[in-house]
Amino acid sequence: MAAVSMEHGLILAGVLFALGLIGVLVRRNIIFMLMSIEVMLNASGLAFVVAGSNWGTADGQVMFIFILTMAAAEVAVGLALVLQLYRRFKTLDVDAASKMRG
Amino acid sequence: MTTTDLLAITPLIILSAASVVLLLVTAFYRNHKVIAVLALMGIALAFASLPMVSSEVSLPFTVTQLIILDGYALLYMGLLFAVSFVVILIAHGYLEKRQGNHEEFYILVLLATLGCAVLVASSHFASLFLGLEILSVSLYVLIAYLYTDERSIEAGLKYLVLAAVSSAFLLFGMALVYAELGTMEFTQMASHANAGNHSMLLLAGMGLMVVGIGFKLAVVPFHLWTPDVYEGAPAPVTAFVATASKGAVVALLMRYFATADSYAHSSLFQVFTVIAIASMFAGNLMALLQNNVKRILAYSSIAHLGYVLVAFIAFRADEMMAVTAVTFYLVAYSVTTLGAFGIITVLSPGDREADAIDDYRGLAWHRPWLAGIFTAVLLSLAGIPLTAGFVGKFYVVAAGVGSALWLLLVLLVVNSTIGLYYYLRIVVAMYRTPEDKAGEAATGLTAAESPTTPASLPLIGGVVLAGLTLLIVWLGVYPATLMRVIKVAVDTLV
Repeated sequence: MAAVSMEHGLILAGVLFALGLIGVLVRRNIIFMLMSIEVMLNASGLAFVVAGSNWGTADGQVMFIFILTMAAAEVAVGLALVLQLYRRFKTLDVDAASKMRG
Repeated sequence: MTTTDLLAITPLIILSAASVVLLLVTAFYRNHKVIAVLALMGIALAFASLPMVSSEVSLPFTVTQLIILDGYALLYMGLLFAVSFVVILIAHGYLEKRQGNHEEFYILVLLATLGCAVLVASSHFASLFLGLEILSVSLYVLIAYLYTDERSIEAGLKYLVLAAVSSAFLLFGMALVYAELGTMEFTQMASHANAGNHSMLLLAGMGLMVVGIGFKLAVVPFHLWTPDVYEGAPAPVTAFVATASKGAVVALLMRYFATADSYAHSSLFQVFTVIAIASMFAGNLMALLQNNVKRILAYSSIAHLGYVLVAFIAFRADEMMAVTAVTFYLVAYSVTTLGAFGIITVLSPGDREADAIDDYRGLAWHRPWLAGIFTAVLLSLAGIPLTAGFVGKFYVVAAGVGSALWLLLVLLVVNSTIGLYYYLRIVVAMYRTPEDKAGEAATGLTAAESPTTPASLPLIGGVVLAGLTLLIVWLGVYPATLMRVIKVAVDTLV
């Protein structure tokens, strides 16, 4: 099987990252924003794995495992906040939560 | 790992162990006072271990590739531990007045401090990332800690979404730098970067990392979360965000640039120059429009980070001067900002934050001592002589003059003048007569609810505030002692 070149891998990661970023910017539903953030984080993880395989070291994969762990912790806190958001505002639309302006 | 390795990271081990102990104690015996005292003891122990580390271990000492312990790291750890000690002290009285479980607050503060301590000692992308995330995830919860308050939830969600996006930017940037250089350790990056020419990949990676770091520092154009988070978060947490989390990231930034030789990229410094100018102007001009003390302090913190960046840009010409100036400024700024948020904390009644300017109208007539302390704090933020803030600004300007950054210096002076206006606005409000409170009925505050009317003031909070004020004046009059300590500590870095 032919190896994937580093450029191709990084381009794929970059495209995924951009898609995630667009998702965060465009979506107003907090659940979808959290999912888009996951896409961005995993795109970074993919970039690490690609770079690690290019240099033949395990560092990239180690970083990927760190990223997975951190994303899980972040989503746990995020979903807890989403529950509270829904309880206070009766909606998942982040634009509803804009008491502070100035 | 050898015994010396473990000895070197004692402060980190103590903090981690203290958080686990606190978790266990909370699980079996919930008592606000006991947990607070245990947390204070944990931090005090970690602080006490710093001199032990510096005498037992020959500094600088690297633990695996991830952590480096040197005088610089120990100095910043000392600052961070002191900051979180003060935060816990003022938070106790604040939480006591409020409903809900208070014990987890202290565990989270300890964890956030651990994240900061890892950051200032990291010499590898992996430890940088871990430290930053331990800090961030603890802060998400701390900011939304008073979850019955809608503003707290809103602030927590905003911080979570934006911080996660900025972490993703930082990670992607790291991945690109790693793809180009093949190493994630700062010292090895220096040799790799100097050997080859700087490719687009490396520059793109650096740019993405600047986005991630810029968000943490809340500099323009990554500052949009700052006012809302400052306003919505509980006042002690705001104090932590403004001092410890920013201080740790600045410390990391300086270590990265000092060891990884990234300041060879002049284009990065042009970016920093633009960011510094934009931060100073945006922070100071937006602060003029605010009526909420926490929002004023938020915009003022954006401006202050702009001043810090001015000294940081002087890095290329004179490293020693720049690093000492930034460090002194951060110490002075931390002491002052803790004082400011400490005042808000002790004045806040149980159901809301004392953050409107109207809350401070006539304060000098009810509580002359508190008004005096707040005046000293605000004058220090404005940079009036005989305060810590003035000396800090003096060193920043001196570092700038050493590198002939004339444009930045002129803009810094202009901005300090603008800043004077909104700091004095709060001072003037405090010294107005109470009869002046025409708007009191309109705001719906009766005399009993108004935080400026005499009520019991937390004793600990008062003592802490008095101590911070003495420190502000002491640093303003005799800065030489601290400066000597800083010069010795940063010697190994530059």
